[in-house]
Amino acid sequence: MAFAAIPLFDGDMFDSAHRLAGSAEARREPGLGHARAGERWQQMLALGWQGVLVPEDLGGVGAGLAELAAIVDGVARHGLAVPLIERCAVAPVVLTEAARQGAPLADLLSDLSLGEASVAPVLGQPGPALGADGILHGQLSGVDLSEPASHLLFLARQVQDDQPCWVLLPWSEALSAQHHVGVDAAQCSDLRLDGVQVSAGARLLHGPAAAKAAQLGEQAGRLMASVVAVGAAASMIEQTIDYLNTRQQFGVALSTFQALRHRLVEMYVAYENLHGLVRRQVLHAQDQGLHSAERETVVIRRYAAQVSRQVAESAIQLHGGMGMSWEMPVARLAMHAMAVGLQYGHPAQTLDWLSARSLADVA
Amino acid sequence: MNAPNEFQHRSDPIDYAAFRRELVDFMQTHCPSELREKVRRNHKMVRRDYAAWQQILHRQGWSAPSWSPEWGGTGWDLRQRYLFEEVSAELDCPPLYHHGLGHIGPVIMHFGTPEQKNRFLPRIIDGSEWWCQGYSEPGAGSDLASLKTQAVRDGDDYVINGQKIWTSHAHEADMMYTLVRTSQEGRKQAGITLLLVPMNTPGIEVRPIRTIDQWHHVNEVFLRDVRVPVFYRLGEEGGGWSCAKFLLDRERLSPASVPRLLRQLQQLEVLIGERLRAQGGTPSLLSALDRLYTAQASAMGAREMLLSAIQEEMAGTLRSSKSSALKLHSSELAQQISSLACDLVAPQMAPRLLPMDEQAPVSQAEDAARQLVHTYLFYRSRSIAGGTSEVQKNVIARDLFGA
Repeated sequence: MAFAAIPLFDGDMFDSAHRLAGSAEARREPGLGHARAGERWQQMLALGWQGVLVPEDLGGVGAGLAELAAIVDGVARHGLAVPLIERCAVAPVVLTEAARQGAPLADLLSDLSLGEASVAPVLGQPGPALGADGILHGQLSGVDLSEPASHLLFLARQVQDDQPCWVLLPWSEALSAQHHVGVDAAQCSDLRLDGVQVSAGARLLHGPAAAKAAQLGEQAGRLMASVVAVGAAASMIEQTIDYLNTRQQFGVALSTFQALRHRLVEMYVAYENLHGLVRRQVLHAQDQGLHSAERETVVIRRYAAQVSRQVAESAIQLHGGMGMSWEMPVARLAMHAMAVGLQYGHPAQTLDWLSARSLADVA
Repeated sequence: MNAPNEFQHRSDPIDYAAFRRELVDFMQTHCPSELREKVRRNHKMVRRDYAAWQQILHRQGWSAPSWSPEWGGTGWDLRQRYLFEEVSAELDCPPLYHHGLGHIGPVIMHFGTPEQKNRFLPRIIDGSEWWCQGYSEPGAGSDLASLKTQAVRDGDDYVINGQKIWTSHAHEADMMYTLVRTSQEGRKQAGITLLLVPMNTPGIEVRPIRTIDQWHHVNEVFLRDVRVPVFYRLGEEGGGWSCAKFLLDRERLSPASVPRLLRQLQQLEVLIGERLRAQGGTPSLLSALDRLYTAQASAMGAREMLLSAIQEEMAGTLRSSKSSALKLHSSELAQQISSLACDLVAPQMAPRLLPMDEQAPVSQAEDAARQLVHTYLFYRSRSIAGGTSEVQKNVIARDLFGA
């Protein structure tokens, strides 16, 4: 019997995510995700996936990172470009931390869990400036609006003290926006925020507390992006085996050629190695908290992106011309793996981050 | 690196932290400092090094962590066994000698008669009898079943004629377990028998093979009318291939390999740190860091693969593809690590690999750097010995494609 990949965390969560992500959906025009929700995304909202990491006392499901990883793994098997990491991991983690620090977010967190709100977060950039008068200046780049958002959550820089500050704004169609379609058909939007007024209640966290929440959100993003790498690689390997066993050239199945078999094995060994690594790190973060083992998470994130790229390139190559066709699921998976490989620590970012740590350690 | 948390159960009565402390205390106290220094500097281990440490462990009852208590093993669970290897590697204690404890010992336990077990196992566990593996031949490497060394039954003896090659440690071994052909009939695998041969038997000649690493570890073994009693046959006549497969699967599953690689990575990080301190973040050192991070992740993944493979092996569900994937990955990782280390020291040390005057004073740093070049060259064999990487890929591919 040919290879069948084992889920990172087997169970109902994985099964339902895998089933839902693989179901048919009416085609939508790319670039209009901010305006109209996809059918599968609406079901994901209704299933309460945004509330998986939200504690029960804040209206959430109160489950752990392993449960969310099972969902992300299941969806990643289909290369579905929905903003799962942003809306179900990063935003809930940052908002929960803000709520723990006293921000009045109970209603919003409850709405998230019920699928009645959806918060699009942006991490890892200087962000717009927030003047003493509460007016924003600058651009918010790279918001994932593949699906509609009710709110934007981002770090601004307070001009008066040069400190970071988390800002929560309601999404408005009135914002000046440039929308783009990415390599995996996800929608990336750049928003101009010049002149937007931020009320006191929209400022959630400030200074070191804001930085800490950002760190937790980043960690959650790193972990889940690594999970996507595992899930996408699993599917690409399964589909490539199936293709090589089926496709005939020179009168025989492609899977009889040793050069192709060996390249597939290299994909598998890299995947097998990554699978155990990511599973362990998710469990570790679940037990010890997202703040722990940050350096290791970055090392793993970096490796996951490398493996993801390797597997994606090999999958395209082993499918020959068909690997270049958008109609082939494996090609879309490869594009999704590449796109997610650039999020929450792309290879250059993680290398810079780790190198800076190493240099500081020896200074 | 965070400690492994696999196989831990909150209700488990074993106090792993206390167990680890016990290991650390014992190894720090009882492992001779000169041995630890030799390991730390990556010197080639020879029999007296391995044996000295094994005898110390034997007195403590720890010389066979993977064996059952019936034969003097520790009876440790999986996590304890991994902790033993981890602490041993972290403290630079010599690894356990694999040919006896890791390879032929379990085969004798599985296939041997009670008399054979009584004769051989106690001397493996106390380190008094040393083994080597006579598998490969000049015409039978990856295609091991093509071996031609012949054993002919003559009364109560077998008479062996032929040649073995790449026989590690044959020059310091007391015994060799060897695959020989006892029949030309049927499938070539069916005519193979496993014999245990005392190395002092008349007719055996061991010749060293000079390898690129300039360390002496492999040999040619010539067998001319070598006579061994039938008692030294393990399993049935013609049943040697089953024994060999049993052994090979375990050979690929050595719990010691990954902790040693993790320790080498620690040393490498220190070495790069020293260079960074002295030279700053030069492009070449930043490139070295890049390779280091990849190797670190890869090694952590290898540890998880190893732990899950051992668990599956104990549950009887381990597939050949998994153990082959581990072997393949560990071999490549070992080569990546040794290659990075070598790149840092080779410009200085490669031209100075063998000092003509062995008595000349040499700094610890220079000696350690020299061993990194030896190790790089030696580790070219990691993807060849025990089944080449290409053979491992064939094994894995058969499983993945279902044919």
